Amino acid sequence: MALLEYALIGGILYGIFFSLVGIGLNLIFGVMRIINLAHGQFIMLGGFGAYLLARGLGLNPLFGIPLAIAGGIVIGYPLYYGVVPRLQKSQDPEMLSFILFFGIAQMIEAVAVFAFGADQRSLPQDALGSGNIGVLGQEFPDSWWVACLVSVLAILGLYLYFSRTRLGFATRAIMADRDEARATGIDVDRVSAIALIIGIALAGIAGVFVPYLIGSVSSSIGDGLTTTSFAIIIIGSLGNPLGTVVGGLVFGIGTMLMQTYYSSWSNLAPYALLLAIVLVRPSGLLGKAVRRA
Amino acid sequence: MRRHLQRAWTACAAGLLASGLALSAAAAPAHAATAPSEIKIGTLYASSGAFAVPSQSQLQGLKYWAAGVNKTGGVFVKAFDKKIPVKIVAYDDQSSTATATTLYSQLVTQDHVNILMADFGSVLTSVAIPIAAEHHMLLIDPTGSGANFFTRKTNYLADISIPTSAVWPRVLGDFILAHKIKRVAIIYDSNDFDASQATTLKATLEKGGVKPVYYHGVPTSESNYTVLIHTIAASHPDAVIEFGYALNDIAFFHALSGSGLHFNMTFSIFPGQLLALLEKNVGTKALAYTFTYPVPPLVVYNKTNLGPNTAPFVKEWTAATKSAPNALDTAGFNTGLIMQHMLGTAPTFTQLAFHQALIDMSGKTTTLLGEFKINENGAQLGEQLPVAQVVPEGKGLKFVIVYPPNKATGKAIYPAPAH
Repeated sequence: MALLEYALIGGILYGIFFSLVGIGLNLIFGVMRIINLAHGQFIMLGGFGAYLLARGLGLNPLFGIPLAIAGGIVIGYPLYYGVVPRLQKSQDPEMLSFILFFGIAQMIEAVAVFAFGADQRSLPQDALGSGNIGVLGQEFPDSWWVACLVSVLAILGLYLYFSRTRLGFATRAIMADRDEARATGIDVDRVSAIALIIGIALAGIAGVFVPYLIGSVSSSIGDGLTTTSFAIIIIGSLGNPLGTVVGGLVFGIGTMLMQTYYSSWSNLAPYALLLAIVLVRPSGLLGKAVRRA
Repeated sequence: MRRHLQRAWTACAAGLLASGLALSAAAAPAHAATAPSEIKIGTLYASSGAFAVPSQSQLQGLKYWAAGVNKTGGVFVKAFDKKIPVKIVAYDDQSSTATATTLYSQLVTQDHVNILMADFGSVLTSVAIPIAAEHHMLLIDPTGSGANFFTRKTNYLADISIPTSAVWPRVLGDFILAHKIKRVAIIYDSNDFDASQATTLKATLEKGGVKPVYYHGVPTSESNYTVLIHTIAASHPDAVIEFGYALNDIAFFHALSGSGLHFNMTFSIFPGQLLALLEKNVGTKALAYTFTYPVPPLVVYNKTNLGPNTAPFVKEWTAATKSAPNALDTAGFNTGLIMQHMLGTAPTFTQLAFHQALIDMSGKTTTLLGEFKINENGAQLGEQLPVAQVVPEGKGLKFVIVYPPNKATGKAIYPAPAH
């Protein structure tokens, strides 16, 4: 029973963090119908940003969060205006974005190998606290709780952005129908550019905690994180950022339960769940209808 | 008539002379005619991905060897009775078996390399084995030690610089039994290299009357051990044996040090091979009192009969590269040495002759990795690895070989102190 409790609590913490990992990808897809295959590489850059701050400047890795936001602006703004409007004009923006962002992912990875080498890098183990915090008698490292707290705050911030701000309303309008939103006078490009910035920044923020949750950051972790993010957002609901939270929880709890009872198959769990959910409910757990491509 | 006979004799003599010349051309000078201008050694390396660090070290060791022999005019090839320069043809597989499969084929069918050498480790070697066999090429396997590779007789596979992983944990098993450790947990990556070690250790322990209290595999890509360690702790082990690659070891030690849990004995593989990488990632405190396999040059060989002893090798390498050699650098270099001897003794320039040359040197050769001894399945049975403990020394760590007794440089600290 204690093992089950530990796996469930661990799964919730792990799952909330992975909601943050996936949410940026879902936001960008929801707003722009763009498949950002470089999502994992943006997470990796967030990890290396925190690494540079912590190991190079001796700062707390949490300073990587504002750095990730700044990085989101610096990368997202030119990336949007340089790429997205052209993609939107094409016959098949989804497929074209798939190919284009694949190229961007490879470029980022190559630059990261050049800059940081191929080996693994970690952050100071005690930078986010050296103790353990227990719930129901089950203790987890401080770093897990900090990652979970920041993930909750980031997701809550995104929720408030959608539900309380004019930009958020405009974003939702674009997610519902890009052309209609433009017809009502919404500056679609500006709002979409901000969504891309937010999406990349959220990926970067997740990257700050990657060394704590998955052991280390290296230039080659991007593709795996992109794949996992895809599984999470499809489980939740493709195009619905808040559905990612459900997807993350299902992924986290599923993975930890498998680790506890059938560890050899633990990396199969998210994809088995993905298959089952897509077969039973093609629009994802929180999807209202089949999305329009 | 006489003139006719004279012409006939002249023609005969000319014919004999011509055929004699042709024969002699086909005999001795044939070597010179068919000797390649360079010996092409085809191999792969990973510039990125899970195996990048050890793979690049292995290649660096090979290049160091090649640069050394090329300085002296090349490697002596007995089949041509001359020295021929060595050229390394190396492609980047990015730690991907799919990419490696294509590139191994390319080395054989497009580059027509003379010697095919595998990338680091069992995962990236596994895809080379069928390709080599299909093309009847001897696969020089520096560090692919998965026991499943060596289950049948073959002329096309030779494990050079690392013992088959079925052999690795025997000494470890004996150590555990000798210390009367009864509760052992084994967690291993589900790949040939780690799974075969887990199987051997389990069998060795069970033979000694110890049944592991935890015995489970995890995916090779596993990167989070927090829940797993908690599950292991629930079985109350005295010793936790983690068989994984460096990436897994880093994640394992991170999770262990963050968990607040402590075990009397913790063992993992890569502190003995890539200590600097592990130390950089998890710190000296997390590694203190860990047990591992110390791999040369940590284990010293002073009486080699092929190549340098450990000390001069370390000295020369350090002078040339400005850093001390690690285990994979040494493995790459050793592979070059063995190939050099193979080419220097194989009477013909064929893959079967290369293989026979390796068999002939088996059991009679000691390099800086220890005794070279392969069986007919290509498995390396020599180069046995002792057990060492990583012990704090000042601000750093040092290795103390603790088992077997005849190789020990100190006593094991068991149970390991909590830190």
